[in-house]
Amino acid sequence: MAIPLTVIGGFLGAGKTTLLNDLLAQDTGLRFAVVVNDFGDLAVDGDLLSAHGGDTVTLANGCICCTMGDDLLLAMMNLVRRPDPPEHILVEASGVADPRPIADIAVLHPGLIRDAVVVLADSELVEETAADQYVGDTVRRQLAAADLVILNKCDLLDDNDQNKVHHWVAGQAPNAAIVKARRARVPAEILFGAAMRLPASAAGHSRGHEDAFRVVSITLPRSLDESTFLAFAANLPKSVLRAKGIIRLRDRPGQWVFQLVGRRHELSPAENSPPENHLVFLGTPEMPGEAALRALLEVALRD
Amino acid sequence: MTETVIYAARKIITMNSYQAEASHVAVRDGRILGVGALDDLTGWGDYRLDDRFGGKVLMPGFVEGHCHLMEGSIWRYHYVGFHSRTGPDGVVHEGLTSIEAVVDKLSRVEAAMPDGDAPLVAWGFDPIYFAGRRMDMNDMEKVSKTRPVVILHSNLHILNASRAVMVSANITADTNVEGIAKDAAGQPTGELQEMAAKYMALETIGLDYYTETAEKLALDNFGRIASQTGVTTATDLFNTAPEDAVRNLVAWTAQDDFRFRIVPAFGGASVPAAQGVARVAELIKLNNDKLRFGIVKLVTDGSIQGMTGRMKWPGYYNGLPNGVWNTGPDQLEGMVQAYHDAGLQVYIHTNADEASEVAINAIEAVLACSPRRDHRHTLQHCQMADESQFRRMAALGIGVNLFSNHIYYWGDEHRAKTMGPDRAKRVNAARTAERLGVPFAIHSDAPVTPLGPLFTAWCAVNRLTASGYTLGPNERISAASALQAITIGAAYSMKMDKEVGSIEVGKRADFAVLEDDPTVVAPEILRDVPVWGTVLGGHVFPARDGD
Repeated sequence: MAIPLTVIGGFLGAGKTTLLNDLLAQDTGLRFAVVVNDFGDLAVDGDLLSAHGGDTVTLANGCICCTMGDDLLLAMMNLVRRPDPPEHILVEASGVADPRPIADIAVLHPGLIRDAVVVLADSELVEETAADQYVGDTVRRQLAAADLVILNKCDLLDDNDQNKVHHWVAGQAPNAAIVKARRARVPAEILFGAAMRLPASAAGHSRGHEDAFRVVSITLPRSLDESTFLAFAANLPKSVLRAKGIIRLRDRPGQWVFQLVGRRHELSPAENSPPENHLVFLGTPEMPGEAALRALLEVALRD
Repeated sequence: MTETVIYAARKIITMNSYQAEASHVAVRDGRILGVGALDDLTGWGDYRLDDRFGGKVLMPGFVEGHCHLMEGSIWRYHYVGFHSRTGPDGVVHEGLTSIEAVVDKLSRVEAAMPDGDAPLVAWGFDPIYFAGRRMDMNDMEKVSKTRPVVILHSNLHILNASRAVMVSANITADTNVEGIAKDAAGQPTGELQEMAAKYMALETIGLDYYTETAEKLALDNFGRIASQTGVTTATDLFNTAPEDAVRNLVAWTAQDDFRFRIVPAFGGASVPAAQGVARVAELIKLNNDKLRFGIVKLVTDGSIQGMTGRMKWPGYYNGLPNGVWNTGPDQLEGMVQAYHDAGLQVYIHTNADEASEVAINAIEAVLACSPRRDHRHTLQHCQMADESQFRRMAALGIGVNLFSNHIYYWGDEHRAKTMGPDRAKRVNAARTAERLGVPFAIHSDAPVTPLGPLFTAWCAVNRLTASGYTLGPNERISAASALQAITIGAAYSMKMDKEVGSIEVGKRADFAVLEDDPTVVAPEILRDVPVWGTVLGGHVFPARDGD
């Protein structure tokens, strides 16, 4: 099984480490690996170490943290080669790195699948940094590469300023869905789209994130028309951050995995999945509710 | 008491200001006991007169301030460069001046290989000389239809893969990844760049590609090339110092037949700075007379011809977007501060002019915070710096090590594509550095270009490109200055000028033994002065066995 790879990008101070620390402290039910530049600010508590090998530590919950040293590619290939490979890999790109070539590794490597490029932006500072003489173009390039932008530290801005920066980021990141956050807190599913539980994800609000996110789960009564369904996917509002499903298509046998992150979506054949026909949507509070999404899907379900 | 040997030579060029030339040099305990006429030296007591260099010219052993040990390991692969290059065994590998010639050579190599799917790896390829024609999978199929074949380009950031490799890696027209060259019909040609190239090298060649530079064979190869080119001290300019490689270096440099002094620069960004400081302190304790840890290397931008250099306005002449930072301005300053505060010397890789500006800014800020005289922090490559940057460097005590070989190998490319005719004139501006009093050295970056300080000096003196164009004649320096740069200038840049870089009493008996006098030959043929071999700490190493 190929391992999904998510790249976490964003300029220095945007909240990448906070996000990873938050994630490592949660019980996500997933044995994932985090690849970082260095353990510096990562809360890799000594007590948590259950094994230690070179610059890799295995945490008590089975998650792996490793440093990339001077060679990210080697570090990733070593992870894939492990006898107990992780179920998902998150790479924390350096603050000046372009996340796109890192995500490309997953396209090239048969042991990996490109999941998403998630870029954090400091909502207070991002516009200023993007105008900087030396690093401005780097910041703009990072945003342009994003499938999802986490607009972090929103609590530091009033509504008006939040809207302004949201609008500006939307212009810089035309392919991305944007999610507001404070202290880089987002549901783990945002980062682990490919590993989102199905169909167990309960509809309603995402756990621990009260009003900030919305989850809609829809069981489909019959097969979908492929082209109409893909048109539906392409036209989903940007308030849909992620979607995943195992579906049946009218003119193609078998079951299909549907994945959507930001503006990107794809269909691939499902292997060994239970006989179901189901979609889950994860989005911001503005995301259409179940009834509205069902209505949008109706065309694709028509005979 | 150990023996004193007095070498007689046709001429000794000392690079020592109080006595520029001499006929004899006395050596005791691997060090220079005295220089002058024979009469000036006999007063030290019993001696043996050695006149094997009676017809030859001695210079201080050349110091290569920016190269890599990979120059030794890469000869495990087959050389297919445009320019002739001498291998460690002394065999001249003729330049291959067409794609057909490359295919022809590799076909012969392939035919001699045992059957099976062991990869055939070649290096040094450079299609910029082939008038726009690129190598593709159809060319490579003539080498073998089944065996994986990989050709690394001379810059090591691009490679060509054969169809067998591309198919097994499942790279098709639909593979949507940056760095996969595609033809007009959208099909991959087999040429891969940057991350895609690196991935393929690692997949096909395996880990050896990265890890064997500190092996005995690689070091021996490097040593032989050093003897052929007159080099007695060389850097390894990016070393993450893994334990086993360090152990090897310590053991082998202690042997008498080890042919050069090696100065590995620690990759300062490979670990957090506090850890790096501690690691370098440990490494320094392992130093011996042929192994010298203590320099830290940091990297700002990428490469100019790879379109990853960070350029100031107006940017790339061909309109491509600006390059990438490996280390951004803020982090760079933090790292320089940490290593500087630990009393270490920092080399900063900067190719294009925005990168040199950021590096100068970082050092300026660090010096404002922690003033230190004679730090000798040095910008490496610094290929595009303008006069205002050199003035700041002079004011801040920053040295420079210029990539003069680039003028020849990529000067035409810089004129046509990267910098344009105007800025290309100031590429590797040695005369400006000299005029403004910036201490400078010049280098090859081997294996990116061949090791060979006399060739590097020739580049700085003549500024001729491969097509024969004189690029920025005002930046030419004299042969005398260039010879300084490859000896005492480079020694100064690595804080080894009290030990090597000139033929002077008390210094190590390191000599380049030449067949002719580079101070009197026409500057146009400086690169052609034959090298007989070297002397290192009094041990004689002929370039060719049997001499």
